[in-house]
Amino acid sequence: MTTRHEQENKLKQTFGLDRFYDDQWETIDRILKGERVLLIEKTGFGKSLCFQYPATVFKGITVIFSPLIALMRDQVKKLNGLGIAAKCINSEQTPEENTQIIEDAKKGKVKILYIAPERQENSEWLEATRQMNLSMVVIDEAHCISVWGHDFRPAFRRIINLVKLLPTGLPVLATTATATKKVEADVASQIGGNISVLRGNLLRENFKLYVVKVTSEDEKLIWLAQYLEKLEGTGILYTGTRVDTEIYSKWFEHLKLSTIGYNAGLDTASRVAIENGLMSNKWKCVISTNALGMGIDKPDIRFIIHTQIPQSPIHYYQEIGRAGRDGKPAHIILFYNLEDKKLPESFIEGGRPSISKYEKVIHAIRNELLGERELMKETNLKQTQIRVIKSDLIEQRIIREVTVGRSKKFEYITNASALNAKAFEELRNTKKDDLAQMIQYVETSQSRMKFLCDFLGDTTTHNFTNCDNTGLKKITVKPNEEWTQKLQDFREDYFPNLEVEARGSNIVNGVAASYYGVSNVGTSIYRSKYETKEDFPDFLLRLCLKAFRKKFGQEKFDFIAYVPSSSDLVKNFATKLSQVLNFPITHDLVMTRQTKKQKEFENGYLKSENVGGAFSFNNPSVLKGKSILLVDDIFDSGATIKELGKLFTNFGALKIAPIVIARTVGGDLG
Amino acid sequence: MNNEATYWIALAHLPKWGYGKINNLIIKFFHDEKITIEDFFNLDESVWSSKYQLNANDISDLKLAKSELANNAFFAENLISQGYELIPITSTEYSKTLKQNLKVAHSPALLYVKGNKDILQKMSIAIVGSRAAEGISLEFTDNIAKRATEDFKVVVSGFAKGVDKQALDSAIKYKGQSIIVLPQGITTFNSGFKTYYKQIVDGDVLVLSTFHPKAVWSAGLAMARNPIIYGLADEIFVAESSEKGGTWSGVIDGLRKGRKIYVRKPEPNEENANVLLIQRGAIAVDFNGIENSNVIYSEQLTSPSLVQETLVSIDNVNERILKVFNVGPLSAKEILDRTGLDWTTEKLTTLLQKMEEVQTVKKGKTNQFVLKANQVDQPTLFG
Repeated sequence: MTTRHEQENKLKQTFGLDRFYDDQWETIDRILKGERVLLIEKTGFGKSLCFQYPATVFKGITVIFSPLIALMRDQVKKLNGLGIAAKCINSEQTPEENTQIIEDAKKGKVKILYIAPERQENSEWLEATRQMNLSMVVIDEAHCISVWGHDFRPAFRRIINLVKLLPTGLPVLATTATATKKVEADVASQIGGNISVLRGNLLRENFKLYVVKVTSEDEKLIWLAQYLEKLEGTGILYTGTRVDTEIYSKWFEHLKLSTIGYNAGLDTASRVAIENGLMSNKWKCVISTNALGMGIDKPDIRFIIHTQIPQSPIHYYQEIGRAGRDGKPAHIILFYNLEDKKLPESFIEGGRPSISKYEKVIHAIRNELLGERELMKETNLKQTQIRVIKSDLIEQRIIREVTVGRSKKFEYITNASALNAKAFEELRNTKKDDLAQMIQYVETSQSRMKFLCDFLGDTTTHNFTNCDNTGLKKITVKPNEEWTQKLQDFREDYFPNLEVEARGSNIVNGVAASYYGVSNVGTSIYRSKYETKEDFPDFLLRLCLKAFRKKFGQEKFDFIAYVPSSSDLVKNFATKLSQVLNFPITHDLVMTRQTKKQKEFENGYLKSENVGGAFSFNNPSVLKGKSILLVDDIFDSGATIKELGKLFTNFGALKIAPIVIARTVGGDLG
Repeated sequence: MNNEATYWIALAHLPKWGYGKINNLIIKFFHDEKITIEDFFNLDESVWSSKYQLNANDISDLKLAKSELANNAFFAENLISQGYELIPITSTEYSKTLKQNLKVAHSPALLYVKGNKDILQKMSIAIVGSRAAEGISLEFTDNIAKRATEDFKVVVSGFAKGVDKQALDSAIKYKGQSIIVLPQGITTFNSGFKTYYKQIVDGDVLVLSTFHPKAVWSAGLAMARNPIIYGLADEIFVAESSEKGGTWSGVIDGLRKGRKIYVRKPEPNEENANVLLIQRGAIAVDFNGIENSNVIYSEQLTSPSLVQETLVSIDNVNERILKVFNVGPLSAKEILDRTGLDWTTEKLTTLLQKMEEVQTVKKGKTNQFVLKANQVDQPTLFG
């Protein structure tokens, strides 16, 4: 048994640091003795050292389960820089890279290995684990183990099962910066095995907390346009949805502000480029959904702004937690419009499909071993619904996910008990309470920092003065003519893309005049279609024309065609469009058989099946070598448009470009 | 139990430890000392040596197993997540019938199962027979399975072609319950899990294996699982047997162990060894599995036939020994393991040295045995 002093000498040699903080040493001491520890400390405390240091002392390999790919990359780079053999395995690397790393790990050439929990399902990795010399297991972001936490991840369930099976004497460290007392207790009990819990306080004195109440989305856009560049340093703007990310970043682009948009749907190269740019302060602000920032090791994020209220104070705490790790002041701003409640409310209420849908899934799985796609076909449920249902059924131990060969299937568990719908009720109620608490944070006239600490279960008598209730000047928005006009100009200048290009088809990407749910475009369409039954209003035509000019400029098309339907709304709209653009209109595209309304089909697979072969063209010879502008009112999964693209291609058309009035945001795989 | 899976896997697959040795150790720590397997593994070496009388080799085996525990944990987690369950011999879920029949010397320390475990607690019958069986033998199998199902008895079978498969399919047809005893590791049974998915999920079929989960099929394993089939059954029915092969040796072995074995009385024109088995002590039954006490064979259950049985059984032992030679030189211990004979190595060595077909070869200080040249092309156990 070596002393703290001896270990600190080693620390100096390997990491170049003089000492451990007391809390760090307490953790490390236990780890070196082979114990299990749950460490809850705020961001910036230095939790990583608590496992990185012991890893260098142990003979074998330390495996770290982490959901944060960005973090892994950063940490591995840093460790390699110190001469420590660290590697990570994740889905962003090529299979060849991952295989090589596994080989190295088996041979003992890797000391620290970061790995995503989903890897437990990978047979190559599992085979390797039977041969590696394991010294320690680390679970990062351990709050993901708890359903009561804000970020429960099913893949972590297996990590817990693994930890329970590990022999005594093998040290296990679980760490997190965000855990209420309830989550802490849950995680500790799940890991079990004589675990000690070490918890520091979570308050962040360098935060300057603000809440800005507004009456419209426009007010948020205007305030940010005016003041974003005036904020010190660089930071992050979190929006509620990907659509909002796009809108805000296009708005700032329009104004030539130094910003960039980020979301989890971007390809790896783009994401890495933006993460790197953030680290080097390339832009004033990165606009993103909360996908960004988790685990990025940037010490000087000077502001974090939310335009959408998160679901709970703990979600909020985690998202703002990334600011000001260097201890210097950071501005934390939350915009709140009464309307904004609706988004998290819809997640909570609509969060779960009806019980009958659950029964449908259970019944299907009892009959046959099914994978996700087969299940979707069998039950006619959306992919998102299937995923929620399967997650709950796994949680309730009614089904399990097994690997058969290379595919994943769902298996009914023999003697499983019936579905417990009450559990959903409880969870829903807890989430409602959490949201109510978040709104309390907005409404409170007391110290906001204290509010957050209380919610987390931190006991503190500290007198906080770091928010707009306790000394800082409140932020108010005063929109004026000039800015309102600028916003209007922008709205008529920015149009969403329709991505439909595919091999074997001459269809090109098209354009929509708007997103369905944004501004009054959607309501106007709805009113015409289902209420007044009158033609689409003229302003939609004007918007469409603007969209056309933006996307296609002065390009000429040989024909305008439109997607046939039972009503004449789209036909009439297309006719007007053809008059203004002066392209001839063709009415020869017809339906051959009654398709069921696409709306009835919940998912992309069945929608494709529905439209295949449903259309034909009366005079196909005229199409040869021609270009076609294809008009419709709404673009959802794009199944209809893509099918028509193929149809026209088969008849010899050279180019088909789709233009629609509105694009929805709910499309699944489409 | 789940937390102990890591340790049970380590113990059950200690290389070269037979079931008897493992079970004796389990009795010592679990029953006598009343500690858990986890505690046992965490004991100091000196305690292993003094209290448990383990020698240096044993201790080194255990230490090696201990160093692999973390690796076992990953393996165990994967097994469990795929729905396999581990039942150690100390568990109340372990089949009592199996324990009673095989006793300390031959009960496997760990069972790997998937499906409805409750089946292990029910009354059971096994239906065995040759792979080439046809016609009346299969009809008999179907009939016995039907009657067993009507009596709420579980049908145990080995999943081999012929009688085994018939027994399983019939049990399913009649909506009864069954146990499939695999001649391979439980994770190598993918196609079977697909075929019988519904029955497993509905709780009517339990798949069981006593071997390492990843072990592939081999003749040796197929042979080794026969005693398990017998062990899991309260009653054993033989549809058809030839004079050599797995069914024959299984019955002879069972008879020697004092099991009641019911053999179908064949029609006069049939060409099989059912009659011979009845002469050896199996009980003749009719098509419905009912004992036929008027059968003249029963007269032969007097001491002369016992003597005859002993002589005959020695011939059979010779055959059994010869059958296991297909991999090269074997030690007496290896031959004992493969044939499942309940003998000491000295007794076996004496016999081996007398057997014409076997040659003794020295390897260092130990004896090894090979078949003399012209014997090498023995047919495999399953023709």
